[in-house]
Amino acid sequence: MNLASYLDLYEVLESDNSTRNERRTFGLSHPELKEDPVEQLSAWANREKLKLKRPLLSETLSSYLYWVTLILSFLTFVLGVVSGIGLLSYNGHEPVNVIYFIAMVVFVPLVTMSLALLSMFRASRSQSMLIHLSPAFWMERIVALLPNKVKDQLKGRFSELKINPLILNWLVIKRSQILALAFSFGLLLALLAMVATRDIAFAWSTTLSVTPEAFHHLLETLSFAWRDFFPWAVPSVELVEQSQYYRLGEKLGDTMISHAALLGEWWKFLLFATLFYAVILRFVMYIISTIGLKKAIERSFMTLEGSKKLLSDMNEVNISTHASTIENNFSSKTVAYTQVIDRFDQSYDMALGWAIDPDKLKLINERMQVIAPNCYEAGGANSLEEDSEVISKCHGEILFYVKAWEPPTMDFMDFLESLLEKADKVIVAPIGTEQQAYVSKERDVNVWARKLFTLNNEKVWLKISSAQALKGEAENA
Amino acid sequence: MPEHKESAFDHPKFAVVGHPNKGKSSIVSSLALDDSVQISDTPGTTTKKRSFPLTVDGKIIYELFDTPGFQRARKVLAWLEGHDVSADKKYEVVQEFIHTFKNDPKFNDEIELLEPIMEGAGIIYVVDASKPYGEEYEAEMEILRWTGQPSMALINHIDEGDYTAEWKRALGHYFKIVRTYDPMNISLAQHISILESMAQLKEEWTDSVKSSILFFEQYYEEMFQESAAAIAKAVFDSVSLIDTLAFTSEKASDVEKKRLEENYKNRLRMIESSTQKQIEIIWHHENLEKDKTQLAFEELDLFSEESASLFGLTRKELLITAATSGAITGAGIDLMFAGHTLFIGGALGAVVGGVGAYFAFNELSEIKVLGQTLGKRYLEIGPMANRNFPYILLGRLIYHTEQIAKRSHAKRSVAEFEMDSKFKEKWLDDALRKSLESYHKKFRSGKAIDEKVLLAYEALINTVLHKLI
Repeated sequence: MNLASYLDLYEVLESDNSTRNERRTFGLSHPELKEDPVEQLSAWANREKLKLKRPLLSETLSSYLYWVTLILSFLTFVLGVVSGIGLLSYNGHEPVNVIYFIAMVVFVPLVTMSLALLSMFRASRSQSMLIHLSPAFWMERIVALLPNKVKDQLKGRFSELKINPLILNWLVIKRSQILALAFSFGLLLALLAMVATRDIAFAWSTTLSVTPEAFHHLLETLSFAWRDFFPWAVPSVELVEQSQYYRLGEKLGDTMISHAALLGEWWKFLLFATLFYAVILRFVMYIISTIGLKKAIERSFMTLEGSKKLLSDMNEVNISTHASTIENNFSSKTVAYTQVIDRFDQSYDMALGWAIDPDKLKLINERMQVIAPNCYEAGGANSLEEDSEVISKCHGEILFYVKAWEPPTMDFMDFLESLLEKADKVIVAPIGTEQQAYVSKERDVNVWARKLFTLNNEKVWLKISSAQALKGEAENA
Repeated sequence: MPEHKESAFDHPKFAVVGHPNKGKSSIVSSLALDDSVQISDTPGTTTKKRSFPLTVDGKIIYELFDTPGFQRARKVLAWLEGHDVSADKKYEVVQEFIHTFKNDPKFNDEIELLEPIMEGAGIIYVVDASKPYGEEYEAEMEILRWTGQPSMALINHIDEGDYTAEWKRALGHYFKIVRTYDPMNISLAQHISILESMAQLKEEWTDSVKSSILFFEQYYEEMFQESAAAIAKAVFDSVSLIDTLAFTSEKASDVEKKRLEENYKNRLRMIESSTQKQIEIIWHHENLEKDKTQLAFEELDLFSEESASLFGLTRKELLITAATSGAITGAGIDLMFAGHTLFIGGALGAVVGGVGAYFAFNELSEIKVLGQTLGKRYLEIGPMANRNFPYILLGRLIYHTEQIAKRSHAKRSVAEFEMDSKFKEKWLDDALRKSLESYHKKFRSGKAIDEKVLLAYEALINTVLHKLI
């Protein structure tokens, strides 16, 4: 699990147009990954990234980070060598004070490692007050240093890229450890080179009143890691006593000169101190930061936008209830049916009722104050033959009651067409229910109007309410 | 029994049939949770049968068919009755009818609705009991009887009238199961109840249809979880949001500060609106139309005082919540010192928390100037300091989710969300407020939030949604 995996998943999720079915199929075909969501996401990203346009964000960014880290590591290594040489340079008159070197290979690493540990504990903090120490800030700085060509390449992709601050923090922590390690190797190389090529007289000196015994005790404490295995790499009390020198004394006292061979023994301690504090402990820090970064990436996998949905799509049964086909859009046209009346005539030659029995028709006629000598039922429970018989009796102006709430069927339209062959005029009168006192709703009448419009026959008239007629007039005006 | 085309292992199929405009499409729409079904008061909206399969991992559990309404039922019946056959041969006559008139546009609708039935679909005959029963329906029911397929009737109520009793008497002659069903106001329980009735139509279908009930329950649960996750994320994203604005002059002007604050508010509004859309998609209301003029919810800005008073905490509630939260932090210190602090920590925490909340009642977040020593200066706002904001946003999102989840898929009217001034009381009590505050505090801290914390917050919201929906 590395930054590239995270970026791959990020890019895959950003441009993902996979269907729920594809995701579920993937989940079912990789049952072994179900218990490990991070692996499952990673496997999905590995498959889906093949569909993405090259170069991938991860390739660009990883390559960039690799080169930046490599160059910076080389520079810090050189800096380490130069610092080492500087600290160990011996002009033949004044001995090399080992305290400087000890400070550089023991105390500086201990302080910086403590700070690194502190940042590890605070890595989850995305920062606000410590903006200048923020990894995001430094990322921005680093990107700003990129050549224009690379910046153009990243433009648009980086502007939207939001890496989890946890990862950014761990990235900086890990990279700091790499650079510190390179610096330590530089120091180590300088020490070995200087010891091999020059005869250095090591000594120790301090303004503080430190007795050789106390200093020896300190050195022995510092050597706790190797003193049992390599006792010769721990300076003896005698060596410590003999290698102490004072600012106001001779540059190199007689005693020191007489023990010149002994003074050189310091290099063993310095070598082990460098190896243990600057290299081994730093390497341990590097390993911790690598694990930390890996864990941060794993945790961040789950916080990526869309990752939870992807996991749920892969692992939950895919239930679908939708239609298998897309329905064509139906547009209900508003039509103005112009052959309308808003009041009945006093009498008609005949009254018909579509699925309304003759007794009821008579009642409705009374209610509507209409006189019709003959009332017949059509449709409803009638047989087709009975309908034909009704048609054969029809003539003149016919008032045709229909149930407004029942939309006109083609059965009705067939009957109407046959009726029109016999009748001079047909008034289609949609009526409401008995409870509604046979008053129809405008909405229902409009449905009838739309249907009659399709017939386009000048003999067919529609009865509408007075209110509806007024409304129609206003609209026309 | 008639030997229809179905094989022994075929999944159950159900054809929703009936007179035109009696709510067939509404019923299918609500049973399939699909708001894309065309529904209108114009007869003939549905001209082709349309399949709505319930699939689980690609396997069809059952299939619903939305069909056109009967148009020439009497003519079809007359044709069928013209064949004098015994009951066991009637289905063959229906098949012959389909075969004969397959390409005759006159009987297009009848063919479309009879085809799935003759391929083994059970019949769900839909009537509207808000209007009186009429003899014209008998031809349709008689045709369905000719098919010999198991059948049930669903009584729908499109309008105010109620003629259920007369419909039940008539339908009882033709169907062994008669159920009432309101597709406009359907709950999971009603949905399941209809599925249970469908399972009784044919013995071989019982297991399949009953298993679909479990899947539907799971499906609803997924919708709850996804909604809770979307809401939790919206609150977290909003509360932890940090916005910046670069400036080049020596000192940031008030205009720049105002612009940053407006940008910040707009981003928060965007989080809310995109979450609302997400919720609509989760509950399959992709085609929902909202009344933007009348809809108080849309008009009621996230940062308006009305919104704060309807959804947010009152100053008193906020004070208590903040004080309790502060006291808990202080009590932690007391605990560390085994009470040797004389519990001053708890008391101080309560005072600091309470006072902070009281004075920051209307403030969003402090605007900071950053980067001054490094040349690139910019203003920064966020994370959200206003303790009331998460409750306002949460309340609005929960309210929206409740309205969406309860809305039937059969409804095509423009959504009008009636504002309920007592809504907060329905979901937010003291215990919940305390629990929520502990999460909001974490969101405000600026720290990266552990996945588990967000999951726990989601679970809390999920409980609220279950309580409301």
